[in-house]
Amino acid sequence: MLTLENIWKNYTVGPTQLDVLKKVSLNIKDGELVSIIGPSGCGKSTLMNILGLLDKPSAGTYHIDNEPITYENDRALSILRNRRIGFIFQMYYLLPRLTAVENVILPLIYRKVRTSTARKMALDCLKQVGMEQRAGHRPDEMSGGQQQRVSIARAIIGRPSILLADEPTGALDTGTGQEIMNLFKKMNAEAGITIVIITHDPKIAAQCRRSIQMLDGRIYE
Amino acid sequence: MIFGTNLKEATRSLITAKQRTLLALIGIVIGIGSVIGMVSIGTIAQNQALKQFREMGIDIISVRKESAAGNMDGFKLHDIRGFKESVPFIREVAPFIVSAASYQRGDNRTVMTLMGVTEIFFDINKLRVKTGRAISDLDENRYFCVIGDDIADLLQTAGSRTVIGQYLTLGKRNFQVVGTLERVIEGGGIRPYGLNKSVIVPLATAAKNFDRPEIETFLARVDEGLSTAMIRQAVQSYFLSRYRDAGFSVQTAEEIIATMQSQMRLFTLLLGAIGSISLIVGGIGVMNVMLISVTERRREIGIRRALGAFQSDIQSQFIIESVTLCCIGGIIGIILGVSVSYIFSRINHWTFTISYPSIVMGFGVAFAVGVFFGFYPARSAAKLDPITALRS
Repeated sequence: MLTLENIWKNYTVGPTQLDVLKKVSLNIKDGELVSIIGPSGCGKSTLMNILGLLDKPSAGTYHIDNEPITYENDRALSILRNRRIGFIFQMYYLLPRLTAVENVILPLIYRKVRTSTARKMALDCLKQVGMEQRAGHRPDEMSGGQQQRVSIARAIIGRPSILLADEPTGALDTGTGQEIMNLFKKMNAEAGITIVIITHDPKIAAQCRRSIQMLDGRIYE
Repeated sequence: MIFGTNLKEATRSLITAKQRTLLALIGIVIGIGSVIGMVSIGTIAQNQALKQFREMGIDIISVRKESAAGNMDGFKLHDIRGFKESVPFIREVAPFIVSAASYQRGDNRTVMTLMGVTEIFFDINKLRVKTGRAISDLDENRYFCVIGDDIADLLQTAGSRTVIGQYLTLGKRNFQVVGTLERVIEGGGIRPYGLNKSVIVPLATAAKNFDRPEIETFLARVDEGLSTAMIRQAVQSYFLSRYRDAGFSVQTAEEIIATMQSQMRLFTLLLGAIGSISLIVGGIGVMNVMLISVTERRREIGIRRALGAFQSDIQSQFIIESVTLCCIGGIIGIILGVSVSYIFSRINHWTFTISYPSIVMGFGVAFAVGVFFGFYPARSAAKLDPITALRS
C-alpha cells in the first residue's frame, strides 16, 4: 500500500521557483490497477519518480506498506526499490549488452541471489510474459513489444509490492500496446499485482478500474 | 556471484569499446613491460656473475699493480712467490702475463688473448680441459699452448679436423696446441677477461716472447673467512717496501659481490622510477577511458540504480572493469618484458631464467594501478543521482 500525503515538489530555475507537484495526496491499495493520466508537463513523471523512490519530494510524507520513507539512507532506498518496486519504462531501458534472461535477473543479482536460482526464476518470468523463446536474445534482436515484455518480466521477478509503468505503451503501435495492456490486466486479475500506469492515452486509462486525472501539479479523481 | 557477473560484464564492455581499450592498454603494457624486462635482464646478469663465483669459490683474490707514470714494470716473479712464502694465509699464487694479438686464418679474423701462466692458473680459475691437457710446470720454456673454446672453433671452421697437434704462429714462433678448454662464463667475476678467446702458453715462454712481458696482475687463493681490509693490509705492507711509488689494487670476491649488489640496488631504484612514471602515465590513460565510459553509460547506471543496485555495486562494477583492463595490460606487458629479456640473454649467451618475483610484482602493480586510477571514475559513477542518470 502506497500513501502520499501533502507532497510538494519544486525546482528553482534561476530566480523563479517552479512547483511541479502541489500538495498531492494519494492512496493506492494492494491489488489496484490505477492509471494516472494528464498532458505532458503536468507532473505525472515526477509523481512516478517519487513513488519509485528515484526522486525525493520537497515536502510531505510517503509511506510504503505503512513504513515512512526517510531519504537520507541511500542503501535503504536501494533495498526498497529492489524489493518493493518494479519499474517499466517507455523506452524499456534494457541493458543492450545483456541477453533477455541476463536483463531479467538483474534485480535478483543485486539481492545477492545465486545465479542458478535467479536464472530459473527469470525463465519462469519470461514464460509469464510469453518471451521464453527469446531468453538468449539481446534487446537489439527484439521488437519494441518484445523488449517491453522482457522489461515487464524484469519488473516482476523480485515480487514487488507495486509495478510502476511510465508510458508503457507510448513507443508501441496500437495493437502491440493493447497486448501489453492485456498483459497488465491479466497479471492484476490473476496474480493480484498492484499496478500504476502513467499515460496520456485515454483509451489506456479507460481500461483501468481507477483513473486519476492530473493537471498542473494537482490530482483530481 | 555479483563479482562473477561484474567481471563478465566488464570484459564485454571492454570488448565493445575495442579501440579505446587498446589505447588505454598501451601505457600499461609499456610500463609493466619495461619494468619486467629490465628487472629480468638485471637478475639474469647478476645470476651470470654469481655463477662464476659459485664455480670458482669466493677464496680467490686478484692483485694488480698500479704503476706510476713512466714506470710500467710489473711484479717480479720472485716477489710474488715470496709473498706466498711470507704471508701465512696465502695458499697459492698464480702470476700471469696478458697480451693480445690478431689472428687470421683464411677469411676468419679475430683478436686473441695471449696469456702466459703457471700450472696452478688452471685450478684457481676452475678451467676444465676439453681435449688434450693443460699447461704443466714441466712445460717451462716449451712452445706449447692451450686454447680457449672460441679459438678452437675458429681452427675447426678453418678446416682443421683435430685441433690437438696443430701449430699456431705467434710472432716468429710456432706453438703446438696441446689442449683445448671448455667454455667458461665471462664477466663480472674475478677471472681474467677473454679466456674463451685465449691462447695460453707457459709463463717462462711468454716472458721471452710477448711484446710486453710484464706481470701486472696475479691471482691468489687465500684462507676463507678473511676480510678484504685484512688482505689489502697484507698486500700493502709486503709490496710497498719492494715497489716504491706504486699502488696496489686488491679485488676480493666479497668486495665484487658487494659492489654488484649495490649496483643492482641502484639499477632497481632507477627502474622503479622509470617504471613508476610510465605506470602513472598509463594509469591516467586508464582513468580517462573509465571516465568516458562512465559518461557514456549514465543511463545504464540509472537503470541499475532503479533496479536496486547499491552505490557500492556500481562502484565495484567500474573498479572491476578498470582492474580487468589493467590486468590484461599487465599480462601483455609481462609477456613482452620476458620476451625482451629472453632475446637479450640469447644475444649475450647468458642462461635465461624467468624472474618470478618480478612477474608477481608486475601483476600486483597492474592490479594496484587499476584500483587506484579506477577509483575516482567509479566513485563518480556511484555518486550519480539515479534520476539524473536515468534521464540522460
